[in-house]
Amino acid sequence: MMNKRVTLLLLLLLFCLLSSSSTLAQLKVVTTMTDLQSITSMIGGDKVDVFAIATGFQNPHFVDPKPSYIMKLSRADVFVTVGLDLEIGWVLPLLNSARNSKIQKGGDGYVDASINVPLLQVPTSASRAQGDIHIYGNPHYWLDPLNGKVIARNIFDALVRADPDRRSFYEANLMKFNETIDAKAREWTEKLRPYSGTKIIAYHNEWPYFEQRFGLQIVDFLEPKPGIPPTPSQLFKVINEMKRDHIKIIIISPYFTAESADMVARNAGGKVVTLATSVGANEQIKTYYDLFDYNVSQLFEALR
Amino acid sequence: MNFYRIISIILALLCLALTSAGAQQTDSSAVADSILLLQLQRSMQPAAATPTIQQAQAAPRSTLSTNPDLSAIGDFRSSYISVGKRKLDVYLNELEFQVSSVVDPYARAEFLFSYGKDLLTGELAPDLEIATLTSLSLPYQLQLTLGKFKPTFGKINILHPHAFSFVDFPKLTENYFSPEGMFMEGASASWLVPNPCDFFQELSLEVGRIEQNASLVRGENSQLAFVAHLKNFFDLTQNSTLELGFSGANGPNQSGFSSTIGGVDLTYKWKPVQYNTLQSFTWQSEFLFSNMRSDEETVTKTHGIYSLVEYQLGQRWFVGARYDYSQYPDDGGRRDIAGAALLRFQPTEFQILALEYQYTDRNYDRSSQGIIFRIIFGIGSHAAHQY
Repeated sequence: MMNKRVTLLLLLLLFCLLSSSSTLAQLKVVTTMTDLQSITSMIGGDKVDVFAIATGFQNPHFVDPKPSYIMKLSRADVFVTVGLDLEIGWVLPLLNSARNSKIQKGGDGYVDASINVPLLQVPTSASRAQGDIHIYGNPHYWLDPLNGKVIARNIFDALVRADPDRRSFYEANLMKFNETIDAKAREWTEKLRPYSGTKIIAYHNEWPYFEQRFGLQIVDFLEPKPGIPPTPSQLFKVINEMKRDHIKIIIISPYFTAESADMVARNAGGKVVTLATSVGANEQIKTYYDLFDYNVSQLFEALR
Repeated sequence: MNFYRIISIILALLCLALTSAGAQQTDSSAVADSILLLQLQRSMQPAAATPTIQQAQAAPRSTLSTNPDLSAIGDFRSSYISVGKRKLDVYLNELEFQVSSVVDPYARAEFLFSYGKDLLTGELAPDLEIATLTSLSLPYQLQLTLGKFKPTFGKINILHPHAFSFVDFPKLTENYFSPEGMFMEGASASWLVPNPCDFFQELSLEVGRIEQNASLVRGENSQLAFVAHLKNFFDLTQNSTLELGFSGANGPNQSGFSSTIGGVDLTYKWKPVQYNTLQSFTWQSEFLFSNMRSDEETVTKTHGIYSLVEYQLGQRWFVGARYDYSQYPDDGGRRDIAGAALLRFQPTEFQILALEYQYTDRNYDRSSQGIIFRIIFGIGSHAAHQY
């Protein structure tokens, strides 16, 4: 009886050890956003365990640096950030407390996903009188699916640095990701091609990469300046603009309330379309591919 | 017996395998060699072998700089208080200059100079509030800070006044330490405590000289002050968190003997993730007790408490209320009971306007009430505050 118990206990111990050994073999990756998490999962497959700090329906400029994230960062092999000061308000206090030199800026595990991304709206002069501007350029670059390839390459490089033995595995996944995104990007652009040049209004200046990729024309914003809530005079200006130029679409993000957009749409005879800014914005969007499937189909339905 | 031997051998082999796997993961020299090899391989590969990117060439970036982050924060006030010589007053309460940067791959540094209003003269006086060097890469989840800093005692003491939602610190902080809390010159070590439930638990131990306050003084002899804090943080749901902290401090007091102070802090925060810029609620409370020895036989035992709530009405508007009860560390017979109501308007994160009504009942002096208007304005790259 005693022997049986001991055997059972040891088997249990063995199971725990074996399961923890398979966990050990996985690289621990922390990303700031779910889009980076999705791409990392596609490149790293089952060899990575990826945690995203922000949710897909959260404003990435304003994430609370909760101490619980420090625990994740303290054990991370790789940390992936959007960069360009998008997360300036919350990444620094987390990294400063993480006690993990691998993922500090300059460390082998630190990945600025924006490296080599062709940036848009890089200001030649910067002043906070212009609102929440980003001095390195507009940071919402993941909303162009082809920038996903640059992001994937940056993540691939970091995974190889952390785990060089699996280079061929990561490389195969990278090639597969690039092929898929190329094919899908062709489908998405074809679908929206009939509406190329269509003028639209956006709530916040976060769509220039999406706009450029799909040939849309964002002519104004509900925010008078980036980060400044809509004012009556700005909304009045936009209503007149929509009436004058026959603009029918206002796009907003999941983390902005729709009241001001609804009011403008009612007065200007347009409609409000909520587009997803990140993976996980709603239950349908589980991967980086789903993000564009969803946004393109939402826009297509609204425009036709 | 054989059975045990077999199991032991299996376990030993398993441990060996795990150790070698772990070593493979963490051997930095092997990684460095592999990276070098990769770079060589990559440089020898034809250009077509790398995945093509159908984009324009990346624009060169010219914003690189090794300059430290600089910021300045102003705190301007206007007040009406029912007692005192200057009932109606207008003044610059404080000006802070902050400089911070990574020193090298192993540490970062922070300096904070202030010009603050002297409570006695009303004139602005310079002060060095913070000068620290903090490690970034110590092993075993440790972090070390050296220099002058605000010791980790409770929730309020680590804050600078501009980072606190109310215009003034609670009576408990003011009566037991100073209007800006407690400052220390020394060393602080903090450790992320590993625990089976994997919640955030941080133990901080600090030792050094305390800048004179109502409870503790710098001390004339070799007696140093000690401060300890255990912070426990729990994510209750995606939208709500709970923090429970325990603090302790011991050091020389103005009578030449020592004081011991203990504290408990509890903070509940609710912030819906999706609309976290639009709605939030905070309930924060601290309890403090003090044993101050003033001679061989006399120990004065006193305590204080505050509890505050803050609710965010919209993107820019906040309301709050606070209750304070506080004795004085050297006189258990004196006590303040105070209440405050707050209205705050925050057009951007760089400008905060607040209007606060205060009522203070004193059992040793006249009670008072007042209204204070405060505007905080910041320029430069002031870093975000801790959660």
